[in-house]
Amino acid sequence: MKRREFTGLAAAALAMGGLPLRGFADETCQSPYMPMITGHEEYIYVWTLGVEGMGDEQDKLVTVDVRPGSDTRGEVINSVSVGGRNEAHHGGFSADRRYFWAGGLDTNRIFIFDVHSDPSNPTLHKVIDTFVKDSGGVVGPHTFFALPGRMLITGLSNDDDHGGRTALVEYNDDGDFVATHWMPTEADMQGAVAVDGAVADGYGYDIRALIRKNIMLTSSFTGWSNYMMDFGQMLGDPEAMKRFGNTIVQWDLHTRQPRKVFNVPGAPLEIRFPWGANANYAFSTTALTSKLWLIYEDDTGEWQAKDVGDIGNPADVPLPVDISIAADDQTLWVNTFMDGMTRLFDVSDPHNPRMVYEKVIDRQVNMVSQSWDGERVYFTSSLLANWDKKGDDNAQYLKAYTWNGSELIDDFEIDFNALKLGRAHIMRFGSAALYA
Amino acid sequence: MKHIGVLSLVLTVATAAVCAEEYGPARGQIDPASCEESDNDWAENALARSLSSPLGLPLVPHPPDNPPTIEKIELGRKLFFDRRLSINKTMSCAMCHVPEQGFANWELRTSVGVEGRSVKRNAPTLVNVGYMEVLFHDGRDLALETQFVAPMVARNEMANPSVGTVVAFLKTQPEYRALFDATFDAPPSLDRIGMALAAYQRSLVSGNSDFDRWYYGGDSASMTPAQQRGFSVFTGKADCASCHLIDEDAALFTDQLFHDTGYGWTREQDRQNPPSTTRVQAAPGVYFDVPAAMVASVSGPREADLGRYEVTEDPADRWKIRTPSLRNVAMTRPYMHDGGLTTLQEVVEFYNDGGSGHARQDPRIRPLGLNPGEIADLVAFLQGLTGSSLNCLAAEARSAPPDNH
Repeated sequence: MKRREFTGLAAAALAMGGLPLRGFADETCQSPYMPMITGHEEYIYVWTLGVEGMGDEQDKLVTVDVRPGSDTRGEVINSVSVGGRNEAHHGGFSADRRYFWAGGLDTNRIFIFDVHSDPSNPTLHKVIDTFVKDSGGVVGPHTFFALPGRMLITGLSNDDDHGGRTALVEYNDDGDFVATHWMPTEADMQGAVAVDGAVADGYGYDIRALIRKNIMLTSSFTGWSNYMMDFGQMLGDPEAMKRFGNTIVQWDLHTRQPRKVFNVPGAPLEIRFPWGANANYAFSTTALTSKLWLIYEDDTGEWQAKDVGDIGNPADVPLPVDISIAADDQTLWVNTFMDGMTRLFDVSDPHNPRMVYEKVIDRQVNMVSQSWDGERVYFTSSLLANWDKKGDDNAQYLKAYTWNGSELIDDFEIDFNALKLGRAHIMRFGSAALYA
Repeated sequence: MKHIGVLSLVLTVATAAVCAEEYGPARGQIDPASCEESDNDWAENALARSLSSPLGLPLVPHPPDNPPTIEKIELGRKLFFDRRLSINKTMSCAMCHVPEQGFANWELRTSVGVEGRSVKRNAPTLVNVGYMEVLFHDGRDLALETQFVAPMVARNEMANPSVGTVVAFLKTQPEYRALFDATFDAPPSLDRIGMALAAYQRSLVSGNSDFDRWYYGGDSASMTPAQQRGFSVFTGKADCASCHLIDEDAALFTDQLFHDTGYGWTREQDRQNPPSTTRVQAAPGVYFDVPAAMVASVSGPREADLGRYEVTEDPADRWKIRTPSLRNVAMTRPYMHDGGLTTLQEVVEFYNDGGSGHARQDPRIRPLGLNPGEIADLVAFLQGLTGSSLNCLAAEARSAPPDNH
């Protein structure tokens, strides 16, 4: 589907149904259950890791003004510190988009920010500090994927050994624990079937769903010991390097029943479904083997997984991290941490992606978020506190660009080191128009 | 409460031979579920074990002022697994001493502490730690009653600002106040924490290995011919037994002394002269040679490790490390004080090569001239040192979920 057609569809749906509009979202990568920002994003919330010896040393949610014409456009206008260094990482809005849930991979605390009362100045609404106890031993709340009235959270680790075996954990919108769904393992497949030589490792990372197909996919990273440790130390530890996930699991979205375990070697991380009505596939990338993977429904209705191309030169270990699919499904941004580069792939034929553009963002880069119209692309820098580059290479920033269809053009940049804020991680967009 | 027997004879664990294709969770972990059910409470069994001597081991030495009791063992277990006893509530003793991994950690060379801070040494097994006269790889403590203080306040381990804060925390917890009252008829205190932790750890006893049944029990079939040949190499040509002692009635497989095997010196040379590339496993069967500059760009500083010298400041003690017991060695990989060797085969080959050969190396470390068959036999012998109760120790450890937020 071409971008023009899709935009028209979205506008028509909006005119008929009003808000909240189910089935669409901004940033192009979030839960399709939540309402979208139909105009220009007004604020960017950056979940930021505190750094010892820098500023107040605490993790914080930083609000950046991106309102067109604002006197403070491109500046930090608010910041709310949460206490401690929790390994701030990912976060997601509730399905009604009134609250932003953000996790700490180390301390397992979950911070729920009120973003609707004053979208320019989020406040800390509630802290869940019983995640491990509630869940029966899950460690490392990672992806926050909104379902109606619920928040589905992927774990990365466990409290038995800080290894990679983990689970999905479900809370309601009030922050009350609902259920834990452990990932299938070789010893306990829970009715799932391993295909293509996959060995169910029980590891977790991202979660995304294709509602109309009742398909949910989860990917697999590594446990606390690895994601918390010094990156260089880990590279030199052959025991640690064996502890990465090699699987993507297909689930029944509604019953949370695992169905199939795919063999996706080398730590598959982010998962992105396109938006088109007939687009029955998803992309993922493997961090360690630098491959782009397609998880797709074949002609017989079975879901399959296949490697559809390299990202840079895998032998150089560029380390693909965040990805962002355009709203028209035609392109995919792929960041690689080690070379600080973003690459744009033409995925109009998802089985044959083709790189069409590349640009070095900085000495390191992690997250990428794009506006719904694809004309603005934002990048942040931090991967994990102890994986980020050291010394002068430890650039920490939010960088904004406009995308004119052929190149990224500098807009503004915020230096998180100079402002003594910390390490900039996930970005999410806010707008007062959502609550008008 | 689950009842767990101490007499289970079946240890359904694989040997520690590392599968070439291993990836994901460490394979062959000790299965607590394989421990035979018992009519006794788990702590009764633990107490009985800490007051008896399994085949091949002497009686556990208990200090006169800290005799074991069921209450101390139960309290000690709870403290050992309580993640709240670290500054940010993420680390317990058990996060580095994992029961299913022989109370060691198979998945890391060197331990990782609070906020991911690097520890320069491998987590040693705590099985049979009650027999150790010197604790830590460098012997920096001498009693389990006091040993726990160091990791609790070490900035790169549990990072508490003081042990006083730990005591104060326990005093705020009604559950702990009741347990300390029941155990000591007194509130939580530093001494009492140490006494309880020590009592629990002294219950982590495991003997009755294939070797014990063969050597001390007279069961000629419990060791394979290869293992028996390996024993001859161990006590003869390789002379391992000059440090890893085997006595007439029992064997701790350690002289409890400190030696410079050449290994620590070698590792320091590696630290000062890192290789131009690091071979990194990216996936099963997929390896990349990563340039040193790239590794350095994401590496924090690595500390030197001078071993026993860090305790005594005597230059003669540089690179000396405590002789580890070899009991359960097949279940406590990776090896050496920094976990730098992955398999027993690699360890035997290191010694067969004569260490590093530097000037201060212990003269007993010399080229051994073992042929491949002798090396294989020696490895087989070491695999026969696995005690029979590791599964029950793990089951007892998991008798209640850890305390968490």
